[in-house]
Amino acid sequence: MIMATLASFNNTNKIQWCPGCGDFAILLAMKNAIASSGLEPHQVCVSSGVGCGSKLPHYIKTYGFEGLHGRSLPPATAIKLSNHELTVLAVGGDGDGYGIGLGHFLHTCRRNIDITYIVQNNQIYGLTTGQTSPTSEKGTKTRSTPHGVIELPVNPISLAISAGASFVARGFSGDLKHLSELIKLGMAHKGFALIDVFQPCVTYNKVNTFQFFQQRCYKLQDQQGGWDTTDKIGAIAKAEEWGEKIPIGIFYQQKRPTYEDELPQLSKVPLVRQPIDNIDITKLMDEFY
Amino acid sequence: MGIMTLGNMFGKMLKMHGLNVVTVNDFPSLIRGGHNTNYIRGDSEPIYSAIKQIDVLVGLNKEAALRHYNELSKGGALIYDESKVKLAEGEIKRGDIRVFPIQLSAIALKVGGEIFFNTVALGAACALVSIEFAVIEDAMKQTWGRKGPEIVQKNINAAKEGYQAIKSVLKEQFKIKIAKVGPDNQILLTGNDAACIGAVKAGVKLVAEYPMSPSSSVLHFMAAHEFSHSIVVKHTEDEIAAMNMIAGAGAAGVRALTATSGGGFSLMAEALGLAGLSEIPCVIINVQRAGPSTGLPTYGEQADLKFALCASQGEFPRLVCAPGDVEEAFYETFKMFNLTDLVQTPGIVLLDKELSDGYQSTRKFDTSKLKVERGKLLSDAQLDGKADYKRFEITEDGISPRPLMGQKNGLFVATSYEHDETSFTTEEPKLRVGMIDKRWRKIKNIKSSDIVPKYYGDANPDLLIVGWGSTKSPILESLKFAKKAGMKVGYLHIVWMYPFASNEILAALKTAKKVVGIEMNSTGQLRDLVRERTGFYIPDSQMYLKYDARPFYPEDIFEFVKNQIERK
Repeated sequence: MIMATLASFNNTNKIQWCPGCGDFAILLAMKNAIASSGLEPHQVCVSSGVGCGSKLPHYIKTYGFEGLHGRSLPPATAIKLSNHELTVLAVGGDGDGYGIGLGHFLHTCRRNIDITYIVQNNQIYGLTTGQTSPTSEKGTKTRSTPHGVIELPVNPISLAISAGASFVARGFSGDLKHLSELIKLGMAHKGFALIDVFQPCVTYNKVNTFQFFQQRCYKLQDQQGGWDTTDKIGAIAKAEEWGEKIPIGIFYQQKRPTYEDELPQLSKVPLVRQPIDNIDITKLMDEFY
Repeated sequence: MGIMTLGNMFGKMLKMHGLNVVTVNDFPSLIRGGHNTNYIRGDSEPIYSAIKQIDVLVGLNKEAALRHYNELSKGGALIYDESKVKLAEGEIKRGDIRVFPIQLSAIALKVGGEIFFNTVALGAACALVSIEFAVIEDAMKQTWGRKGPEIVQKNINAAKEGYQAIKSVLKEQFKIKIAKVGPDNQILLTGNDAACIGAVKAGVKLVAEYPMSPSSSVLHFMAAHEFSHSIVVKHTEDEIAAMNMIAGAGAAGVRALTATSGGGFSLMAEALGLAGLSEIPCVIINVQRAGPSTGLPTYGEQADLKFALCASQGEFPRLVCAPGDVEEAFYETFKMFNLTDLVQTPGIVLLDKELSDGYQSTRKFDTSKLKVERGKLLSDAQLDGKADYKRFEITEDGISPRPLMGQKNGLFVATSYEHDETSFTTEEPKLRVGMIDKRWRKIKNIKSSDIVPKYYGDANPDLLIVGWGSTKSPILESLKFAKKAGMKVGYLHIVWMYPFASNEILAALKTAKKVVGIEMNSTGQLRDLVRERTGFYIPDSQMYLKYDARPFYPEDIFEFVKNQIERK
């Protein structure tokens, strides 16, 4: 048996991202993580919503579900439940996941289904040509907020931790090696893994640029004394850190049963391979006798 | 026990005597209180719906007694709670009915508490119509056995007290005596129950639903049976998630279901289009209730037909059927799963409130001819060595063979964008036309025998009624009156709304001297659909539209029919 390589996940679809977009690095990091996890293309499904980054399922040779804006997680959940032997990843932007899809995001965190959710967070709406996003900082001037954003940004890291996500990390598309490793760890984690990725938009975000993050990001795991990923309250406090220095890496990780673990229906064969040709409904009818 | 539990118990006892049974629930959108009624009708002859006249009224409070005693037949009986209801002299203005004041509350308190109030009343009603006490014991043991012997025994004791209370005052035999007329070989269930069993038989593996009256019992039924039938049942965060989940599950290759009512279906509209565009089979049960908006949550209407046919932007094929009784709810739901798999598109089963929570007795469903047909699913062998598999291949019949996610060589992306044969996004005009045509072509694979309307009554009618959904029941009941009166009346019952059997329907419409329409909405939505698809028009003057959110009565339909025949 020949192991799949990075090239096994390449296809010939023409990529429609701007030159220099952080999404290229995220795509490559995902391929790195999947290939180095020993998976073959047919064992993986990548789900997404709608947005620049959500076009990603077309650029990686796996099964895919490019759904509706903000709705990457419900199909990803259902695909995992339908065939829990698949490795399921979801991708999408900050508008997709933290704006229109915020409800699904929080509920998927507490559900702890074993999928890895990668958010391409560029703090701006790209595909709709530059409007404010839920992670835009207060005061940000965009086409939809020419006088500056009045609201505070959402904090996906602390939201995810308090909502019950069992693996919460942040990466930077400017650090491919670190990001690939984070995604691989997220995939290896049993449960819902969020990887929020700083992914500078080269076209519409002139503040949160590659250089902006390059100068500020430091790795939690590399700091002196390391970082205790089991400290939930500490992780939430750390998620508040923003300014001259911005932490990346794994904020929080918790071991707990996944949603699938608690379903005896999935203890043997995946739903998709359970026979349905001759289901006996005699007992069901007898209940109404 | 609430009055619905007890009403169903009474219905079950009638069924145990070999009678046919129908029940109707009428309750406001409140958890406790309000004016509730539970109507039960039994007969040795086939029956379809409620009729206006009742023979026994159990008025558990004063309002119920006073509001309904005029519906009693001559010689009918009113049982009421003498301990709580004080009826003044002359408050019941009828001399031709029998009145039984019974100390229902006092007896309940004596046997164990207020909670047994309804059971005492049930015992009293049974005694009045001469149901043997052993039958009551049997019924309670069968139905409540799971709750433990103590609870069953306490209810039996309570029923016994009520039973004896009537026996001790019933000097002259009541006009109705329930006797065994045949074997107890029917089941008694609601339209939602029947649709659920149809879905289970079809092999549904994932159910994602957000509770909404009157569809929630689908979620409850499925959740109760998720282990025994290996179904993953998810109460989702909202209907958007529910619909997107069944789209995901359908794309992965399992049979998936959601159920909702109009408000939830509105939230599902966008993902319905996603399933249509990306050719995903999945089934949505929409139990119609009185809208618009929150409307009258626990009351009925048939006003989502056009919405079901048109919901979501753009154009794509979706299957729509509207079962009219419990049998159709079972068989058509089963069929819907097969047809959605055959043509790889979403399907909507439109139920309505009257059908969804009214009980009907029926023979056990015949499963001998039911066959799960999954359409063009690729086997591992068919995919073996296939390097250039195209999920959306443009084929002659429009159907592109599909894999289960996880199979080797079957890679594809289910996508909400227009796409080429490989599933990659395209905006190329020729391909766009090719894909739209291909998707519509799929519908031609559905056999007309699967979608033809049903016909009841006189084969060459002077008057033909056109209707759909749960109105089938009062219409069939009204045909009995018409036949007795020597009138030649037929009923064309349309179940499949898309695809629509235009030729067969037009042919049937042409057999009648006059055609009328009966619908539970204010505009005649089926009438409009018939006109759109056949050119045949039923004018307003020939429509009986009811939109007070209450079901039709066969007596009123018969009056309408009589007037229409006389008017020519």
